[in-house]
Parts: sequence; structure tokens; C-alpha cells
Amino acid sequence: MSPLRGFASALIALTGGFATTFGMLFKRKPTIEYPSVKKQHAPRFHGLHELRRYADGKERCIGCELCAIACPANAITVIGAENAPGDRRSPGERYAARYEIDELRCIFCGLCEEACPTDAIVLTPRFEMADYRRGSFVYAKDRLLVPPQAGVGTAPDERPNGIPADLGTVAEQKSTVDIATGYDATNRGHILKTERRGLAG
Amino acid sequence: MTTLPKEVTLSIDGLPVTVPEGTLLVEAAKAVQTDIPVYCYHPKLGPAGLCRICLVEIEKTPKLQIACNTVVAEGMVVRTQGPKVEDGRRAVLEFLLLNHPLDCPICDKGGECDLQDYSIAYGQGMSRLAERKELKPKAIDLGPTIVLDDERCIVCQRCSRFDEIVTNERSLVVKDRGQRDVIATATGAPYRSNFSGNVTELCPVGALTSKTYRFRSRPWDLQRTRTTCQQCSVGCALNVDERHGNVLRTMSVPSDDAVSEGWLCDRGRYNVGFYADERRITSPLGRFGDEWVQLSWDDAIELWATRLEEALASAGSASIGVLGGGRLLNEEILLVRHVMRALGIANVDWRTGRQRQASPGARGGTYDDLENAQAIVTLGRPPSQSAPVMDLRIRKAVLRNGARLISIGAHPASSFVPATHLARLSDLAGTLAEVERIAFVWDGIDAALGAEAEAALAKLAAEGKHVSVFVPGETPNARGAEALGLLPAGGALDTRAQLEAARGGTLRILSIFGANPVLHHPAGAAFVREALKRVPFVVATDLFLTETGRLAHLVLPAKAAFEKDGHSFDLTGAVHAVNAAHGAPPDALSDGEVMIALAAHLGIDLPSPRELADWATASPATIANGLGDAALCGSLAPARDGAAGLRLAIAAHPFAGGGTVYFDDRLGELRPRPGLLLSPATAQAAGIGEADLVDLAAGGRVLHDLVATLDGNALEGVVTIVDGLPEAPANDFGEGETVTLGNVRSSRALAGSVV
Repeated sequence: MSPLRGFASALIALTGGFATTFGMLFKRKPTIEYPSVKKQHAPRFHGLHELRRYADGKERCIGCELCAIACPANAITVIGAENAPGDRRSPGERYAARYEIDELRCIFCGLCEEACPTDAIVLTPRFEMADYRRGSFVYAKDRLLVPPQAGVGTAPDERPNGIPADLGTVAEQKSTVDIATGYDATNRGHILKTERRGLAG
Repeated sequence: MTTLPKEVTLSIDGLPVTVPEGTLLVEAAKAVQTDIPVYCYHPKLGPAGLCRICLVEIEKTPKLQIACNTVVAEGMVVRTQGPKVEDGRRAVLEFLLLNHPLDCPICDKGGECDLQDYSIAYGQGMSRLAERKELKPKAIDLGPTIVLDDERCIVCQRCSRFDEIVTNERSLVVKDRGQRDVIATATGAPYRSNFSGNVTELCPVGALTSKTYRFRSRPWDLQRTRTTCQQCSVGCALNVDERHGNVLRTMSVPSDDAVSEGWLCDRGRYNVGFYADERRITSPLGRFGDEWVQLSWDDAIELWATRLEEALASAGSASIGVLGGGRLLNEEILLVRHVMRALGIANVDWRTGRQRQASPGARGGTYDDLENAQAIVTLGRPPSQSAPVMDLRIRKAVLRNGARLISIGAHPASSFVPATHLARLSDLAGTLAEVERIAFVWDGIDAALGAEAEAALAKLAAEGKHVSVFVPGETPNARGAEALGLLPAGGALDTRAQLEAARGGTLRILSIFGANPVLHHPAGAAFVREALKRVPFVVATDLFLTETGRLAHLVLPAKAAFEKDGHSFDLTGAVHAVNAAHGAPPDALSDGEVMIALAAHLGIDLPSPRELADWATASPATIANGLGDAALCGSLAPARDGAAGLRLAIAAHPFAGGGTVYFDDRLGELRPRPGLLLSPATAQAAGIGEADLVDLAAGGRVLHDLVATLDGNALEGVVTIVDGLPEAPANDFGEGETVTLGNVRSSRALAGSVV
């Protein structure tokens, strides 16, 4: 190949390459400004779990452990107990005295949701679970259960557009990353330990 | 010699089967490993023909037949599978499920439920019921142990038939008819039985559930270990189900035909909560003055070893005593014996309660001998008090084989099967003339009665009769402790002599292995307390700080029966393996491990593990020449009072004594309240009514506020109290003593069963 021909083909290739780059300048950018902008998820995105309630405030979960046995990652631990007549947690005779999901083990497959006979455990589109300690990824009822003031929670069928309207409230009230001023990681471990001791049921 | 039954050959699913004549089809099918679904049929309860799920096709019979109530015939051609059979079962299941609630997710039986399993195998998946399901009461409190769910019940009547055929207590019945039929007690009273837990296992659905296990777990969570029950001396095989380090339930072993026949008593089944009780001792405790100090194991063993060496050097081995061992496993007993012998200590005695002897001599029988006996004679406390599952064998012998049950002494043999009561053994003469096989059950307490019985049964044996002898132990492995040598040898001090030496100030060290003589020794609580206080150094191993442990100077945390491996003897002398099902508290050591540590400190060579295992599993040596053996029992027969007046009988109770039942609050209703049992006539003569509060006195000793219970089965002129209750210790009193009742007050307290 003559040097002239070689130069011409290189020029064509370069022009083609730059044309692609130039053309991209006018395309819509795929990156989003996370965390100020959040992506719209697919309607059935599998994120952090939540335990729902009935409208009267009773827990849907009956502690049947079917989610635990369906879980392929063995991430769920449930210990059932009998409802006391004066302190009814769920409509039937049995409720979950302890309900824990190890979110580090969880593979977010959603089989727990499918196994649940009362639609109690659902996977929400919430995905921001970063934390400083492994232990804090074991979510107990204190963080899984929808707080009474935050409604009943939503089933996947009720949120066709991904993030349901009340998810913000729920997420805020259930937030584990409630960092106080002057907070540091060491201190946080202590707080979590105290919380877990008091609330893990 | 019985003739062999005739055999018939039939074909099941194309396979030829040869079984004895009279076999039920459902049993014959097991020979070819064919699973015929059953609900109402149970191998130990027989057919009832109620549920109709076991439908099979028999050639030349136009309609489907139930396999559970069809007897095999020569040349029968049976099909247990196929479209016709499956269609029939689907129809039966549709009816069974018609009103059955969809409780499976919360039902305790879910996962091990026959209705669930067969619905998946044969059911049609969808309900065609357009109307509302029949609603019935749920979570009915049937008694202290059982909760009934009427909606789940399929009325197979296994529970009520168990209560009729096996226990003969007949308290469970089917009430109402048709879709309204429910299980209930005949009188409406709470369902109380020593064997109530068995109905939860028999129930093929989740209608009957145990209070202690309700909603605690699902079957697939549980880790199962097979072991041997160590709550009494019967030796029932037991499956221990554990989750997250907690023993949640125990289940019977249906194949355990040699001992329990698949039944468990409630004590064996429900007394498992103490393992996790927070009052358990979790580290060695030393008492210095009035102050308890936690010690490390090294310090504790060193303290013990140093004291032993000091006492041996200054006062010799006669100044050292060893008590207890009837709750230990064979290996542990051997280690205790080995270490004590190596130190030259002969003052060893396992007998810390009333029992003087736990081996039956040369005529010991098996449970089959008991079942096949034509006459069963109980001497003293009957097995219904101390060995409940053995009592089921006796009931079986009486109800199914027509055996005669005769009780001698102050305790009637049974409230639930026909029995004759005789006051003295000499009254027995002549009544056993036409009987060939006789079983004697002695409680091992009254040596004089035992010796009298030995003479009587030797005479019967000389007449060519088959005599078998049983001595239920007061502690689970009493037989092992006796056979493996925890006995004073060659004139050494027995328990009472040791306590007397302690009061005399000549005993320097007393080591107590898993025993509570303050509560159980017939010398009386005050006597034993005084004795223990005068010993300079008392060591006790136990799970809890008992009445005896509080007086010790060193208390060592022991392992309980589900936490250690080893072997034990049952009361017939058969060896059973005990397997650890459950992790012990981190600082608890078994008595055997303590002995190993002590031996290491004292420089004593131990037998090799192989030798230990060989000795622990060998057949128990024959210790006694017979019942009431003088060399073994000594001359400590309680004085029998011929004087007029009320005589005292001291009974055992499955839920009194052992100590562990006091550390599970869920068993509160099952524990006997301090009370006394009287016959109605005796009570009337003394002016006592049902549930009155009474004070019982004998020779200056008084038991206050005993609740009176009237029982038609009780003997005239006899007052029965329960042994081993910490609230009302009966060990200050002697069997057969004359007592007075006074200070009778009527009480609004609910009447409950005392014995």
C-alpha cells in the first residue's frame, strides 16, 4: 500500500470516529444525577422488603415461615408465637414474634413474596441499603414492618409505575441511615446494637 | 407351645404376599411397601372404619373396600392404585376437606400432616363447596396440656379410642353427630391424663396440639435426635426436636416396641423447659461463709482435690462420703466409682431417697413378660405413680389379655383398670393357684415387704410357675447405679449411716452427685440439713441450686440428660443409648467430665474409653439375691403400725420429686398441689369435705394447709400424701405411720387431682 492511500484511509476512519463522538453530543445523556435524581424502576423491581399491615393496623404476617422455607438463600428467620388475647398482633392465632431478613444473603428473587399466603412480605423498589456494618443488614421487624403511621404498605400490583406514592414516607420513617449531627461509624454500631436488643422482639 | 397361624397368599398390586391368616389388608400391604393412606386406622389402635380413605379395589367385589377393616383371604387380588381407587379417595378427601379450614400456614401440624400429604397425593385441589364452611370453635382449652381446634378435626376418633383402648381412662368422647360432631371430655371437665400428649401425636391433623409447642416452630425447622428418656426408669425411646438451641418438643418413637410401644407419659414429653431456665447454675459456685462466689472450673476442681487430699491424709478414707448417682449415666457412674475406689473411699451410696433396692434379683423380667403375665402383683407404690409407661403395659395386660391385677400394701394399683386390693401379702395365698405366669412389681422401699414377697414368689417358682420381677427405680438410672457399684461395700456407711456420721462430726467431706437428700431422704429434712451443716466440706453437682445445694460449699453445674452422651439401664436391665440432642450451657460439665478433671488433678489413671464403653453397655450384674435382700437393704424397714387410727401412705407422683419440673412455669397446672387423698368414707368420718384445707400431724411433725381430695379408689383408713413436694416435704413422715388430721377449714380453692 502506498503511503498516500494509507493516509487517506486513516483520515476516513478518524472522520468516522469523530462523527460518532460529535453525534453523541446531541443525543440524550444516559447518566442520571444520582442521588439528586433517581431512576424510575421497572414496575416489579425487587428491592428492600417490607412487612405490610391491614387497614386496622394488624400485621398481615402470621409467622407461618413459608417465606423462610421458600427462600433459596436461607436469608429469612421467623419464630412464631401465639397471639395474646389482650395484645393481638395479627388477625389469626399466630403471629411472627421475630422476623428477620439478612439482606446481605438475600438474592432479591422475590420467592418470599410469592410464597406468602397473606401478601405480608413484599419487595419494594427501595434499593439504598448501604451501611457501615454487616450486622446492620439483618433487618428485623422494627425496620421491615410498615410503621403504623405510614399506612399499610403496598403490594406490587398496586404500584404500576414503580415507586408508589407513599413509599417516600415509608422509606423515611424506616430509614436506618438516620445520621445525627456529629455522627461517626463507631457510635453508629453502638446505636444499632442497642436498637436491635430492644426491638428485635 | 402355640401352633403357628395358618398363612394365606394374596396378590397386592400384582405382587404375591404371604401373611398370617387374619391379617388386615392395610398391614399386609406394608409387606410390599405399598402406602395405603389411613386416618382412623392406627396399628396400635386397630381399625375403626370411620374415615374411608384407605379404599382399595378387590377383584370380584363390585365396590371399593376399606383396607383397614378387610381381612386377607386366600387368592385375593387387590389393587391399591389405579384410576378407580384414586377416584374413590378423591371423593373421600373432598368430604373430609369440605369444612376443613385453610389453616395450613399457621397449623402446628402443617408439614407433617396426613391430611395435607394425602390432599396433595389424591385431592382434587379445588373446593366445589358454594356454601359457607361450617364454623366451629377454635383454640379450645381441653386441659392443662392440650388445645383442641374443632374445625380441623376430621373425627377419626384416634384420640378417644386411645383414651379407651390404651389408657382405659375414657374421658375423651365424640359429642353430637353429623357435621356438628366435636371431640370433648365426657363430663365437660378438663382433660387430665398422664398420657395426654400422645393424642397430639396420634391426631392425623392439627386438631389436637400441645400447649408447650403451639406455634413455636414448623416441623422442617427441627433437628431431631433419638435418645432415651431419663425422667424415670422405664427407658422409653424419645425423639428430641430442637431449634436454635432450644428443645421445643419431644416425640415418641413408634418403633420402640420393646419398651414404650410408641407411647410417652406427659412428664417425659413435656418436662423439657428447664433446659433453658435462667435459674440454671452456669458456673461453679463456692460458698464461703454466707457468700456465694463464682469460681472457675480449675479453681473448683483444685479446691475439691485439695480438700480430699487433706481429709485422706488427716482422717483417712472413712471420713469421706459419696451420695447420689441414680440420675447419672452408666459411664459417669463408672467414673465416679473408679475415682472413689482409687482413693480408697468405700462410703458410697446412690440411695438418697426412700428406695432401698433397684434390682430384681435373679428373676428380673422383660416388658413382654409383664404384658403376658396372667396375674400382676404390685407391692407398695404401683408403677402408675413412678413409671407411667410401664403402667400402660399393665393396663394392656389387664384389658386385652385378661390379667388379674392385685395390689398389696397401702397403695391401690390403678384407678383405671379393674384391680383387687389386699392389705397383706399373706392374703394372696391360694389366689394365684390356677395362674401360670405371674409378675411381681415391687417399689423397692419396704425391705420387709420385699423379703416376704421373695419367699412367696420362690414358693410359686418352686411350683413350676413363671415368675418375673420388676423394681421400678426411684431415679432414672437407679438400676445402673446399683449394678455398677455405687453401693457401700464391706461394711462401709450407707446414706443414713453417713448422715449420722456427719451429725457425729466424723464425716469430713461429702460429695453429692445429682441428688437432693434434704427433700427425699426419709430421715427427714431437718435431720439431713443438720447433718450437712456439720460436714466441713460438701460438694454437690446439680442443674439448679436445690435445697441440698444451698447447704453445700461447692456447687458444680451439671449437664442434663439431653446434653450428654452415654448409656443407661432401664428397670428391666436393658441398655439404652443416651445421645446429646442439645448444647449444654458453656460452663456446665457432666458428672463424668468432672470426675475426669478430678482424676487428672489427683493423678488417678482412668480406664480407657473403650473399657468404659464395654463396661457401660454390658448387661447389669445381678446384685441382689432377691427382693428385700438383707445385705443390700439392711434392716431399715419402716415400722409398720398396727395401731388404730388413720395410716399414712406416701405416694410418688410423676410431676413431683425430680426437681426439674419446678423450673418450667408452663407445667404449673400439672404439678400436684400439697394435698391429701382420702376415701369418701374416711373423709366423712374425719369430717372433711372435698377441697377442704387440712393439717396433718404425726408425732409433733405437721404439714399445714393440705387440700383434701376424695377418691373412691382410695383405701379406707389411709391418708395418702405426695412425696417430694418442696412446699410440703413428706420425708419427715414414714410410710404406715399413724397420723391425725385437724384444723379442717373449707376452702374455695378449686379441687384438683392430688394423686
